[in-house]
This record gives sequence, structure tokens and C-alpha cells, in this order.
Amino acid sequence: MHRFANPARFLNIARPFTGWLFWPGLILLAAGAGCGLFVTPPDYLQGETVRILYIHVPAAWLGMAGWGGIAVAALMQLVWRHPLAAVAGRAIAVPGALFTAICLITGSIWGRPTWGTWWEWDGRMTSMLVLFFLYLGYMALANASARQAQGGVSPTTAIFGLVGAVNIPIINRSVVWWNSLHQGPSITMRGSSIDMALLWPLGLTLVGFTLLFAAIVLMRMRTILAEAKAEARMQRMARG
Amino acid sequence: MKAKHQRLILALAALVALVGAALLAASALRDEAAYFYAPADVRTKGVEAGKAIRLGGMVVKGSLKHAPDGVTIHFDVTDGKATVPASFKGIAPDLFREGSGVVAEGAFDRSGTFVATNLLAKHDERYMPRELEGMNYNETTHQMKAEQ
Amino acid sequence: MNQWAFVIGAYALTFSATFLLCLRCWRAMRRAEAAVQKLSERP
Repeated sequence: MHRFANPARFLNIARPFTGWLFWPGLILLAAGAGCGLFVTPPDYLQGETVRILYIHVPAAWLGMAGWGGIAVAALMQLVWRHPLAAVAGRAIAVPGALFTAICLITGSIWGRPTWGTWWEWDGRMTSMLVLFFLYLGYMALANASARQAQGGVSPTTAIFGLVGAVNIPIINRSVVWWNSLHQGPSITMRGSSIDMALLWPLGLTLVGFTLLFAAIVLMRMRTILAEAKAEARMQRMARG
Repeated sequence: MKAKHQRLILALAALVALVGAALLAASALRDEAAYFYAPADVRTKGVEAGKAIRLGGMVVKGSLKHAPDGVTIHFDVTDGKATVPASFKGIAPDLFREGSGVVAEGAFDRSGTFVATNLLAKHDERYMPRELEGMNYNETTHQMKAEQ
Repeated sequence: MNQWAFVIGAYALTFSATFLLCLRCWRAMRRAEAAVQKLSERP
């Protein structure tokens, strides 16, 4: 695992991968969104509004997977003292928070024509809003400690990231545990209750958004590493 | 034992304790965090008349009736275990229909009818093209079968 | 057609936000890596 601990070796891999992830992600996303808007038939009950599914679901997935990534990075930072893990945690926070916000807003836009309300305090919506606030807290802690942590995050921030992961299974189970306005899970281990005619563009946008997310994380990691390197060099020059 | 292993065990133990605590809290909140009462909850727990609650369930097929005034509707809400009569005066959301889910905000009157002040439509997790409407959905296999 | 207003609003918001984040991250990366390059070229 420490093979990539050396930033120079990591950068040699990250540089080509940024483009390799970004462009296929963009193409898949354009294809998925185009098909989701113009090719698939409308839903029997909701009509055209069902098309919001193709962006709402990937945003929800990335918001939650982002925090999963923060938690794994925090574990690697606290247990193995992996130097890049702290940088990865900080790099994930911004896109994770953005996609959580996109999930909340597209959900709200979807709720108005279908449910008849922009917002209700049911279990799913409330726990997703809590995730957004957790991201804001993590980013505030990370920014406050960035200087001492050489661009990474402080151990306190990492512990916060680990503790916040408790919310992820709660979001996932919220529609099963509690009566909620949000419907139950459509895609389970037993199959999908979304008909194939409506389901297939979701695969394209899911993979597309995920690749873009990974490209953004790599760009942000490269930025943080470069800034830390410049900072260190400046300090050495000032001393020498 | 190496320091690395100590940290790993400490972190994992803390994580397990946290998840356990959160699950306990969630199960304790099970009733409190419920967004609405189902008709069966109303029957077992008893909700006094006039108390503002949300009532959620399915609109019973064939129960929807329009009152002569043109703006009031009457319908029954069921969760399969109990059924409650309800009424609403106003414009219902587009997706409000018989056999579909509903969440009504309001209170019971003295006769046991739920007087809703606001209606929200709750749809289920199924999505399909219009051509498939009227087909039977099998809960266990997730397959559609044409209605006989 | 009213339904399309909601759909287009959601798509426009999502794609403009994603595009802006990509652009910002790419610019920040270019700037930071150029600064390092400049520092390393100095004697």
C-alpha cells in the first residue's frame, strides 16, 4: 500500500489518469443524459419528470460514496500513517459536498410535481441534509488545519470523517426503518423494480458521473500536493 | 504488538461502538422518527380528535368520491391492516389517485374521519413505460405479467 | 409541457454546477503546478 506513498510516484500515475478518467466520463455522461432526456419513454405515473432520476441517483451515490472514501482515507491516515490518505480525504470533500447538494436540490425539484411539496422532514431527506452539513463541518476543520498538516487534514479532521460515516447506513436504511414520503429502494439484491426500458441510461450516467468525480479528486490531489511542495520550497529558500 | 496494529484495533473498536450506538439510537427513534401514522398505528395507539398528525397509506380502489360542492373529496386510506375514512377540501396533487400512496396532513374529527388540510402523493419504487401500465407486478421476482 | 420545466431546470443546474467545479479544479491545478515548475527552474 505504501508503494504510492511517494508523491512523485503517485503523480506519475495521476497525471495521465486525470485525462483518462475525465474524457470517457464526459462522453458517457453526455450519452446517458441525452438518452435519458430524449430516448426513453415517460413513466406511466410520473410522466416526463421521471427523467430527473438519471441525475438524482448518481448524485446521491456520489454524495454517499464520497463520504465512504473520506472514511477509508481517514482510517488509512490514522492507522497506517499513509501520507497521501490525508490529501485524498481533503480532495474528496468538495466534490462530495457538491454532489450531495445536487442530490438535495434535484430531489426537491422532483418532489414538487410528483409529491406536491418541495421539502418534507422525512427520514431520507433529513439524513441526506445531515450528510451535507457533515461535509461542511469536515471542510471547515480541514481548511483550519491545512497549514500544519502539509496540505492534508489533521488527525482530528480524520476522526470526524470516520465518525460521520455512521450516517451512511442510516441514509441507506432510512426508507426501510421509518415511514417516509420517499419511496423504498428500487434496486435491491433481488433485482430492479425500474423497468429495463427506463433503467438503461442510468448505468451510463452513474459510470459517467463517477469517472468525472474521480478525475476531480485527482485534480484536487495534484493541486494540494503542488501547493504543499511550493510552500515547502519557499520556506527552505527563506531559511537558506 | 506493533503500534500500527494497536491503532488499527483501537480505530475498529471505536467504529464498531459508534455504529452500534447509532443503530440503537435509530431503533429507539423508530416510532418518533416516523414521518406519518399508518391506519394500523392509529388503531393500536389511538390518536385523539383534533391532534395534528400525518396519515399515510394507500387510497382504497373505488373509495374516491367527489362531494356535490365540487372541491371536497372523500376517500379511504388503508395499510392492509386497518382502513380509515378521510376527506379533503382543495386541489389534490396530480399523482393522487386510487390504488396509489398518499400522505395526508390534518386531524381526526369526533366521528373518526380524518380531515386533511394538505395532501401529498406518495409513489412506490416502481418505474415503467405507459405501455406496461395495467400489468401485474410480482413483488418477489420483479417481473411484469399481463393482467388476465 | 409544464413537467419539462422541472426536468430542464434540474439538468441545467446539475450540469452547470459540475462543469464549473471541473473548470475551477483544473485552473487551480494548472496554477499550482506552474508555480512549482517556476520554483524548480530557479537556481
